[in-house]
Amino acid sequence: MSRLLAIGVIGLLFTASQAAEAPRTVDRIVADYMAARGGLSKIRAVQTLRQKGHAFGSAGRQAIVVRELKRPGKIRFEFTVQGMTGVYVADNGAGWRVSPLDGSLEPTALSEQAAADAMEQADFDGPLVDWKAKGHRIELAGQETIDGRMADKLAITLADGSVRHDFLDATTHLLLRSEVTRRIKGHDVRVQMTFGDYKKTAGVMFPRKVEVGAIGRPQTLRVVVDSVEVNPPIKDARFTRPATP
Amino acid sequence: MKRLGWLLAFVSVPVFADQVFLKDAGSIEGRIVEQTATTVSVDVGGGVVGVPMDRVERIQKGRCALDEYEDRARKLAPTDAAGWKKLGRYANDQGLSTQAQEAYKKVLKIAPNDAEANGALGLVNLDGRWVTEAESYRARGYVEYQGEWMTPAQAQVLQTEAANDQARRDAEQRARDAETAAREADARAEEAEERAKEAERAQTYYDPLYYGGWGYGVTSWPAAPVSTPKFATASQIRLKGATK
Repeated sequence: MSRLLAIGVIGLLFTASQAAEAPRTVDRIVADYMAARGGLSKIRAVQTLRQKGHAFGSAGRQAIVVRELKRPGKIRFEFTVQGMTGVYVADNGAGWRVSPLDGSLEPTALSEQAAADAMEQADFDGPLVDWKAKGHRIELAGQETIDGRMADKLAITLADGSVRHDFLDATTHLLLRSEVTRRIKGHDVRVQMTFGDYKKTAGVMFPRKVEVGAIGRPQTLRVVVDSVEVNPPIKDARFTRPATP
Repeated sequence: MKRLGWLLAFVSVPVFADQVFLKDAGSIEGRIVEQTATTVSVDVGGGVVGVPMDRVERIQKGRCALDEYEDRARKLAPTDAAGWKKLGRYANDQGLSTQAQEAYKKVLKIAPNDAEANGALGLVNLDGRWVTEAESYRARGYVEYQGEWMTPAQAQVLQTEAANDQARRDAEQRARDAETAAREADARAEEAEERAKEAERAQTYYDPLYYGGWGYGVTSWPAAPVSTPKFATASQIRLKGATK
């Protein structure tokens, strides 16, 4: 009996070590990532989202930020400094803003880059969900250490040809960092977004800390998300560009 | 009645602590210091913003965070470092950068090495000394190029790209010089337009700290204190001077 038990234990250990040494594939990494976020059904159940927090810039700058999202492709961002609230909205690619901080009290078009950023953020699912159907290509580009954590590095060629890198925590499987190229002041700049302090709301993990900066540049923007509401009622009208007076 | 209407149009109506909702979107919260038929002026705690009434959807009266800050500040002793620090946090939470800076400066008068107050004022500890972020970047070997701090190598790349762009424009200009006078005039006009657009794009991204990621589109974020906000030069909003 004891010999049989010993053989069983050895067999289990062998199977476990085989699993641990099995090569990590893109499909496996993406599946783990989806499960870590809460699972596809829970992610898809999020139809609207409201997040409130603070943004911290250099020189002690601080602002109140609110982000509202609604499927499909709707996003509204509010930014408040010194009592003045600017509103930046995009609805399926078309963006507009009213920004008292710029002296702009009437709706004007968002810049092309800002509208593109907005649409990227309006995607609840992110590029990894249904990536094959979306026409993206993903390759495993090794592992790197991000802030002391081992991460799987995915090179994602989006359907539009642009390339981004996502770093997924090898242990928690959550997104640690994204690197994308943005056109800033006429130059391509590699921008890095680092995510942390994940917490679950309505069964889905959301990062509560986001740090944004350009690679090789010391200045960063930090966003701390204080609250997350899943599926709050948000009317379509909040995203509709008002008629120009 | 007509006379009353005339009076309402030109006599200041002092009211307090309001939120001015703009038509379409956006708002301005503070203390209304003047309201006429054509303009409402709001003290936002770092200056007074004048908003044309034709852009106002509604005005909601009530206490604002600025009132709360001033009430609390009045009750604090100048030596109460913990109290001023707490008030600084409150002001920052409410987006009142100017007031936060004011409160944290009081803390530094009492405790010059207070880490939270120094950090809130944008100072960085460098080898035991509190220095500005710019000084810390310089000490770490970064250089400033077009308002952003970066490695010298990155700045060199950008300078080279800019020089190449200029050379390309010069070459295009020379090619255009060879064309007919009429076509040359057209080309110059196009180039001027392009340069204007480029300048506009550069202005749009003057702030290096909002690259997207979480939020987007913010192009103007003045460092506190907001004593001379950038909107002061805008045609529709005017700065009339901070009030205390």
